[in-house]
Amino acid sequence: MEILRQEKKRLFKFLNKLKSSYELVAPVKKDIVRFEKIENIPDIYLDKNSYFPIKEYFFKKNDVLFNFSGTKIIVPQLKSVSRVFFGLRKCDLNAIRHQDMVFMGQVQDPYYSAERKNSFLIGYHCNEAPSPYCFCNSLDLVDFFDLMFYDNGDYFLIEVGSEKGKFLVNKFKSFFSESDEKITQADKKIPGADRLEKKDISKLYDHPDWKKGVDLCLSCAACTTICPTCYCFEINDETLTKDAKQGSRKRIWSSCQVQEFTRVAGDYTFRKDREERFKHRIYHQLEYFKQKNGINLCVGCGRCIEGCPTRIDFVQIINEMDDGNAKSKTNS
Amino acid sequence: MQKARLIHENPYVPKPYRVLDFHRETSDIFTLTADMKTMLAPGQFVQVSVPGFGECPISICSDSRNFIKLNIKEVGNVTKALSRLKKGDTILIRGPYGKGYPMEALKGNSIIMIGGGCGVAPLKGVIDYVENHRQDYKEVHLFLGYRTPSDIIFKRDVEEWKNKYKMSLTVDKSAHGEMCYDAKEGFITNALKSTNLTNENKIVFMCGPPVMMNYAVQILKQKGFHEDQIFISAERLMYCAMGICCHCMIRGKFTCIDGPVFRYDEIKDFKND
Repeated sequence: MEILRQEKKRLFKFLNKLKSSYELVAPVKKDIVRFEKIENIPDIYLDKNSYFPIKEYFFKKNDVLFNFSGTKIIVPQLKSVSRVFFGLRKCDLNAIRHQDMVFMGQVQDPYYSAERKNSFLIGYHCNEAPSPYCFCNSLDLVDFFDLMFYDNGDYFLIEVGSEKGKFLVNKFKSFFSESDEKITQADKKIPGADRLEKKDISKLYDHPDWKKGVDLCLSCAACTTICPTCYCFEINDETLTKDAKQGSRKRIWSSCQVQEFTRVAGDYTFRKDREERFKHRIYHQLEYFKQKNGINLCVGCGRCIEGCPTRIDFVQIINEMDDGNAKSKTNS
Repeated sequence: MQKARLIHENPYVPKPYRVLDFHRETSDIFTLTADMKTMLAPGQFVQVSVPGFGECPISICSDSRNFIKLNIKEVGNVTKALSRLKKGDTILIRGPYGKGYPMEALKGNSIIMIGGGCGVAPLKGVIDYVENHRQDYKEVHLFLGYRTPSDIIFKRDVEEWKNKYKMSLTVDKSAHGEMCYDAKEGFITNALKSTNLTNENKIVFMCGPPVMMNYAVQILKQKGFHEDQIFISAERLMYCAMGICCHCMIRGKFTCIDGPVFRYDEIKDFKND
């Protein structure tokens, strides 16, 4: 891929230029670090990765699927703003790739793809793991970006990753210069992010050590909310009138960590125990998604561990598990 | 022009159909007939909408290209709202979804069907299918269990099935000792236990409460049935029905696209997750 160079002092000018053509979204530090629409370029905060994930811009917390009046259905015109995202980490970018597989794979989700098609993804490489809980090197992440910024002291090296990236570079040509430097696969590894040991967890489902984490779980659903890949949702009707004739059907995020996730009419809950729910999340991230799509859903950002009020560290739990110890219920 | 195309492609938007018939089966169960013309396999389901109340998955209990029948129990908001529909009303449906019973692949076998309560509904689709392709299947043995005599659904059909197929009908309890359709008091699993069955050229279709299905599988295994001879129809909470929302996931398998009919060895430990 093409490698370009940009002096660090020109970054703000470049971003300002971007801001005048597109809506610029980048991490800012307020009470927490999260992605927001940028008004002043100096607000951008790149020291740490964002606490709240990027998914809310594509897979929205609250999406109106359609409005209704009686049995008449009115689908809203899907308009999306042309956005440039700056400061996405490798984990965030891969999380978008994984969600693309879900929402733009076999089923074309019109709401997700409308937002997604109009977006430019500019990455920012982590020179060191921004959080002590990172473990992205343990998972097989790939290059997935339009442009990627590598901090190299006084200047950035920029890797062009797609046609969209080429388009941006051509549009803002004056900010980039040619470079004959190389970015190797070794450069792309992030130091200090190899916590998770490679283990075949499919045989560990009935391991007693899962209890270690479960006993601390409050079922608060923080982990799934701030997970950049978790994509479960529910669909509910919201009515505007007393007789339930007018209203809208909405899609909202939901979490497998609460009992209601599997509660059916007649009040039967399939995953009633915290242990089952906790394991379901880990196995969906590291096993089930792989069975369907060939890659882990988890991107190793460590947000679910950092954001957990009781700091349940599933990476540590898995690392401490002894493969030989598991009693397999499924084979009996 | 563009807007119309969008509506057509949007997988979340249900289409309107007409209610052809509303038939009350019991005090809380009814059967709706809708003029949905579609190819379907018995065991598949549709997502039925009542705007303002929501959507719920309902299995199809008929085998026809000209209409679908939906057997619905009033347990939640949507099903209660559906119970207010009348003949001629509009009903919103999307689907059909899921994999049904693999009828083609099982030609030449005898079929044992075990249904509990509302679980008889998806099996009725199979029975109708067998009716339309009678020469392809050998014996049919029905095990149908209900809570009380007044909970028996498809009463008109039960009378017919009794004459055509082997049938064991049970009710859990009968308040005044009244009985009908040669029903016996007790659980359907007890009836299954006391019946002499061999596993030769037989397949089992099952749908009902998880407790019933788990116990029935145990009994069948004792009788020498293999896990790959048993097909169950699973029930889960479901929103999208397209394998996205994940509510219906059973150990990595989606009830909505990999199921709802599973061969038992595919989802052995289905009771809790």
